[in-house]
Amino acid sequence: MNLRALAKVLGALSVFLGGVLLLPLPLSLWDGDGTWPALLGSAGFAAALGAGALRATGKGKPELTHREGFAVVTLGWVVFGVLGALPFRISGAVPTLVDAVFESFSGFTTTGASILTDIEALPRSLLLWRALTHWIGGMGIIVLGLAILPMLGVGGMQLFRAEVPGPTADRLSPRIQDTAKLLWGVYVGLTAAQVGLLLLGGLDWFDALCHSFATMATGGFSTRNASVGAFGSAYVDAVVTLFMFLAGMNFALHHAVLTGRGWKALKNEELRVYVGVTLGAILVLVVANAWRSYPGFLDNLRYSAFQAVSILTTTGFATADYEGWPFASQVLLVLLMFVGGSAGSTSGGMKVSRVMLLAKHGVVQVWSLIHPRGVRRVKMDGRPVPEAVLQGVLGFFALYLGAVGAGALGMAMLGVEPVTAVSAVISCVGNVGPALGGVGPAENYAHLPTAGKALLTFLMLLGRLEIFTVLALCFPSAWRR
Amino acid sequence: MRAIVVGAGEVGFHIAERLSQEGHDVVLVESHRNRVRMVEERLNVLALEGSGAQAETLEQAGIRGCSLFIAVTDVDEVNLVACLLAREYRVPTKIARVKSIGYTGQRAVLNAEKLGIELLINPLEAVAQDLINISRHVAALEVAEFADGRIFFVGYPVADTNPVCGLSLAELRELQGMYPFLVAAITRGTQTIIPRGDDVIEAGDHVFLVMRTTDLPSVRYLFGFEKREVRRVFVLGGGPVGFRVAEHFEQAGLDVRVVEADRTVCESLADRLGRSVVLHADPTDVATLLAEGLAQADVVVAATDREETNILASLLARRHGARRALCLVDRPAYVSLVPTLGLDACISPRLSTASAILKYVRRGGILNMATIEENQAEVLEVRIPDKPAWLGTPLKALAFPAGAIVGAVVRGDDAFIPSGDTVLTPGDRVVVFALPDAVVRVEDFVGAP
Repeated sequence: MNLRALAKVLGALSVFLGGVLLLPLPLSLWDGDGTWPALLGSAGFAAALGAGALRATGKGKPELTHREGFAVVTLGWVVFGVLGALPFRISGAVPTLVDAVFESFSGFTTTGASILTDIEALPRSLLLWRALTHWIGGMGIIVLGLAILPMLGVGGMQLFRAEVPGPTADRLSPRIQDTAKLLWGVYVGLTAAQVGLLLLGGLDWFDALCHSFATMATGGFSTRNASVGAFGSAYVDAVVTLFMFLAGMNFALHHAVLTGRGWKALKNEELRVYVGVTLGAILVLVVANAWRSYPGFLDNLRYSAFQAVSILTTTGFATADYEGWPFASQVLLVLLMFVGGSAGSTSGGMKVSRVMLLAKHGVVQVWSLIHPRGVRRVKMDGRPVPEAVLQGVLGFFALYLGAVGAGALGMAMLGVEPVTAVSAVISCVGNVGPALGGVGPAENYAHLPTAGKALLTFLMLLGRLEIFTVLALCFPSAWRR
Repeated sequence: MRAIVVGAGEVGFHIAERLSQEGHDVVLVESHRNRVRMVEERLNVLALEGSGAQAETLEQAGIRGCSLFIAVTDVDEVNLVACLLAREYRVPTKIARVKSIGYTGQRAVLNAEKLGIELLINPLEAVAQDLINISRHVAALEVAEFADGRIFFVGYPVADTNPVCGLSLAELRELQGMYPFLVAAITRGTQTIIPRGDDVIEAGDHVFLVMRTTDLPSVRYLFGFEKREVRRVFVLGGGPVGFRVAEHFEQAGLDVRVVEADRTVCESLADRLGRSVVLHADPTDVATLLAEGLAQADVVVAATDREETNILASLLARRHGARRALCLVDRPAYVSLVPTLGLDACISPRLSTASAILKYVRRGGILNMATIEENQAEVLEVRIPDKPAWLGTPLKALAFPAGAIVGAVVRGDDAFIPSGDTVLTPGDRVVVFALPDAVVRVEDFVGAP
């Protein structure tokens, strides 16, 4: 491990974060809410820390091999998560440092789990910072770094692959920096479109902006205690549902359609399954909820569709307390947390394409029992899937379940009751946000034990970076030269 | 007409033989001395030693007065270069054999048109197409379609269980009121004849029928062939031919199983095929194939690159209950052996390629052509020209060449089987069955160029 290069890159990211921390400052001054010293102090600290690291490591372009790649991505996220927590703690809005770090990580990993009991009590500048953590974490801090930090250019594909969700990473352009810029361009464009539509729905610019940030990142932080349900508007629900769905699509597809490379891109197999899973989940919820939760069909469709898309894309907004829904609906929502959105989207979970590959692999295994001498390959979009990718998916599945199991056991050992422990862990590894039991859509994570919050914070990072990247750092050989 | 054939391999040899039999001047260019000598001994053609891709050799072969140029060496690039040279000498018709799909596939970047070569023929494509045609039709030995698919030519084997076995043609003719078809030829042993009323159909014969495509089911019924559709196809050997055949039947929605002994080839097949079952097994490993349902196979196509394996595998398949077995065999000695073994049909890449080339050469007055039974006879579709001398004469009074018979007439949208009283009119398209020595006379008779 080249520690010098590592420190240099982390320093650059830290300076960059210092800049981002200044963004809510004008709002703070405008509102006169008194958080400006916290924001300025955090920004100054981050910038000073980064500058110090850059100075200490001297000049020259850092050489990043794939080993440094894992470390840069994982530690980069840790740096963002920890430094991003400073405004919450310094301003005194959040009682403990662990809580602040939990909130910050929940933001950057686009989980949307909150320890705030009264969100509306926070000053607007801090709420904006909360939404910003989502928005920056959504497309990925490294992808963002690739787009604007020239020093990350070398070995960029390693970093890109380590951060972009899904079994394989699409390259939109031969130069990785251009790919990163294109993805961010699409992301910014879609966010702007949603802000426009929400403004039309009667939201003020602050609510529109914060909710668009949280939607496109599939995060789930709202500015209201009752989440999106607070607006009580079918139009807002519909717009948010649509953009959550779009955010769960592969951004390479958005790019293909927007650049006029046509609807052919939409023949993508993963997209079709993603659409199918979404529609299927909505259908099951509508049927299950018709029984006793919503007598009227349109109401039923509005709330069921919103919640299905919100959970499947791992956004975690709520317009209804689904803990009052029939058990079947609740279990289905938990299962959707495992699936997540498409590869190359901003969502969490295992990703639709991985679930598809697992299912196809299972079919091939059964088929091989019937045809012992048969040769059959798992295919995606009509093309055979390389054995290495398939192995990766199987390994990912095992580690994912392992993480959920170990996490749930750990939470239970801290005295959390079983439904809450298991569902909270599933929700955090999948970067969803709300879960069941004590951490349902109407509750928050504040009452969990401190160690439990720390554990969940780690699990959120594990889930966002898709496990491998983080675990690679746990091998001593990754650190040896 | 002067024709130059480059490459005296099996295809080249065969084409040269056919063309010279029909009275053309043929010059064969071949680079191996032994082959040149063999050609000189066995064929009535001029054999030249040299490379067909060199202008000097071609000049020696008399390319300036040549009207047909066929390059069929084993090397694609030599064939292409030879044809490009021929183009410089303004030879009107140039034909090249290429094995690479890169030139003949639908998305070929450098196709026949761009190369300025009239016909690029892919032997594997040709043989795959023949296999597909024959497997589609239950019990058929040979099939060919004419007049845009409205007229059907088919060869059937006759067994003693067959209802028509033992009937004379005159007796059969009484049934023809119901089922209009014409018995164009009978092959008995190695002899092909054009039958008359008193000829009797015997067990072991191969009969060749011309009929309207719409009458096919009833004729099949008359001959006692079950109506069962082809559902399960076994393809033995996953080479280019096997792949094409499997791909075709997969697209037709059949249950296809491909057997291939090489693991890497299997994997590549599994990548390219969709629903088909790819089996990694030896084509002669009967126990494994039976476990995969060989006994219920409607058609077994043996298309490995080893002819002996093909023969053995198809024999085994028949023995264990497969309903039909088609076999890819190229060596002339084996081709004549196959009918005696009880296999349903054998396809030879050499013959498939040669007949595809001959079919192209004969175009002009002749619209379509098929060769049958190791090229013992040809079926031609010809257009009656504007003013033949014999206009207005009914068929029975016509001095039609001996060894040839008019099998069907297509007039406008109407297709029918002619009787002796039928009068041909200009613009008619007729399907003629002709023995080899009668082909040229038929061409002369109808006035084809």
